[in-house]
Amino acid sequence: MLFPTLDFGLFFLPVLILVWTLGQASNEWRKIILVLASWIFYGAWDWRFVALLIASAAINWLLALAIQRRLAADAGVQPWLALGVIANLAILGFFKYFGFFLEELAPILVAAGFGRDLPVLDVVLPVGISFFTFQGMSYLIDIARGKTAPASFLDLVLLMSFFPHLVAGPIVRASHLVPQFQAVPRLSRAMVAGGLILILWGLFKKTVIASELATRLVDPAFFDPAAQTGPDLVAAAYGYAVQIYCDFSAYSDMAVGLAALLGYRFPRNFDQPYRAASLQDFWRRWHISLSSWLRDYLYISLGGNRGGLFFICRNLFLTMILGGLWHGAKWTFLIWGALHGGVLAIERLWRDLRPAGLPRLPTPLAVLLIFHIVVVGWIFFRADDLAGALAYLAELAAFRPGVALAGPLMCGLIGLGMAIHFTPPGLFAGLTRRVAAWPAPLLGVAVAAAVLIIDALRFEGVAAFIYYQF
Amino acid sequence: MADDFTSPVDIEASADGLPGLGQLAVALGLALILLGLFNAHALAAWADGLTPGPRTAPVAAAAHDLADRLAARGLDTPRAVLHDAGEQAKAARWPGQADQR
Repeated sequence: MLFPTLDFGLFFLPVLILVWTLGQASNEWRKIILVLASWIFYGAWDWRFVALLIASAAINWLLALAIQRRLAADAGVQPWLALGVIANLAILGFFKYFGFFLEELAPILVAAGFGRDLPVLDVVLPVGISFFTFQGMSYLIDIARGKTAPASFLDLVLLMSFFPHLVAGPIVRASHLVPQFQAVPRLSRAMVAGGLILILWGLFKKTVIASELATRLVDPAFFDPAAQTGPDLVAAAYGYAVQIYCDFSAYSDMAVGLAALLGYRFPRNFDQPYRAASLQDFWRRWHISLSSWLRDYLYISLGGNRGGLFFICRNLFLTMILGGLWHGAKWTFLIWGALHGGVLAIERLWRDLRPAGLPRLPTPLAVLLIFHIVVVGWIFFRADDLAGALAYLAELAAFRPGVALAGPLMCGLIGLGMAIHFTPPGLFAGLTRRVAAWPAPLLGVAVAAAVLIIDALRFEGVAAFIYYQF
Repeated sequence: MADDFTSPVDIEASADGLPGLGQLAVALGLALILLGLFNAHALAAWADGLTPGPRTAPVAAAAHDLADRLAARGLDTPRAVLHDAGEQAKAARWPGQADQR
């Protein structure tokens, strides 16, 4: 069930009505309605994985109680915390990486004579597994660190199942969302206005910009780079940078907007990432809930900024390598992570060892440089495999003349996707304040007009969000 | 709450007029009526995607009937004009641009 479909609209509307009618009777009923709705939403992909979701919540809930008991008794929590992290990683590892390791090990095992014993197992990847397992892990670590209190079973199940963020984030932490679940939510006019604007803006970015770029430019270019011209390959590389931003930030915007209409606040997940003047700045603006998760639970656990420059660079590199592998077990994600980790380490070295008096790169040039480093990374991220990424780069270097794919609309959409990054940062807040002051009928007419325009312009059919595969 | 938690919807705005829930109910209700009138095509397209069967056939027939009746009164014109403009933009080519392979 994809957000930008009528199927989802027909699911969401009754949930919204139930939450604000039956749910008003008691907060527990509201949460039960949301849990059941979330399971129906998730079950629309595969009912079997609803059981996995419940089991994962149950394991984390029990382990959290054990950790809390040890904390209360002033005893060490490490064994229980380690068990919790291993349990979550085991779930993630089995579904996400088992196939990859089997595939990579197969030639070795076959050569060693074990080929006949290799299990034939086609592991189906549950949608959103990377998100809810990370959420479970951060919940346990936060309890062990004393940053949050154990949640009730209902609150934890809802935290991990809540449908707006379930399949592609943002990764909402227990310390942020559980207190909201424990209070009776209130819907302000600003939340209504902001929520509706975010949903409509996300709908436009996904269905008009991202889907058009994907089908008419990016997918054909990456499918067969050898058949494309140089300008088309350049446009497709820029096009993918815009597509993935408009696709993923659209999901986040819609998730934040849907949660807001239900009375809950989700964190900001994107903040004009392509205006970053350093890669460190980029990671403060791109997939913020993941980058802050990696910082708080991985980078700091590896040692963080302690131990001198070498260890800081090592920790940055390892964090980004693991961040790359979080996306999936592919060499292309590993290289993408290594590129980002390497550049982050170089930036750190340059910051600390830069000779005094050397002029700094002007900000516009720094923005341009960082954007192009990110675009090179996206080529690896988008390619089906390593050979595909290298073929793309080789064809790009060959630069055959001519244009076939990158027509005026594609160039216009790339320009629009980039222009979004250079609008005033307070634009959304200003617009929300203005719309919140509108009378309800005017808001209704505006919503209908916006949906009509988007539906008329959008590509036929809706492709799944890129981050659903993670 | 953690110190670094900020939500895009954390915005102070005027509270004059209907409360948030009333605002949402009226706005969504009106938007649905308007979309039902001016964008019934979307409903028909959605019905076409349903698995054909005895239970879905009446839904599809009703959706198409509604879309046809509203189109006969010209209510699909705004969508059609916008859709045509979109198609023209998609068909635009640079001078000398080769056909898509």
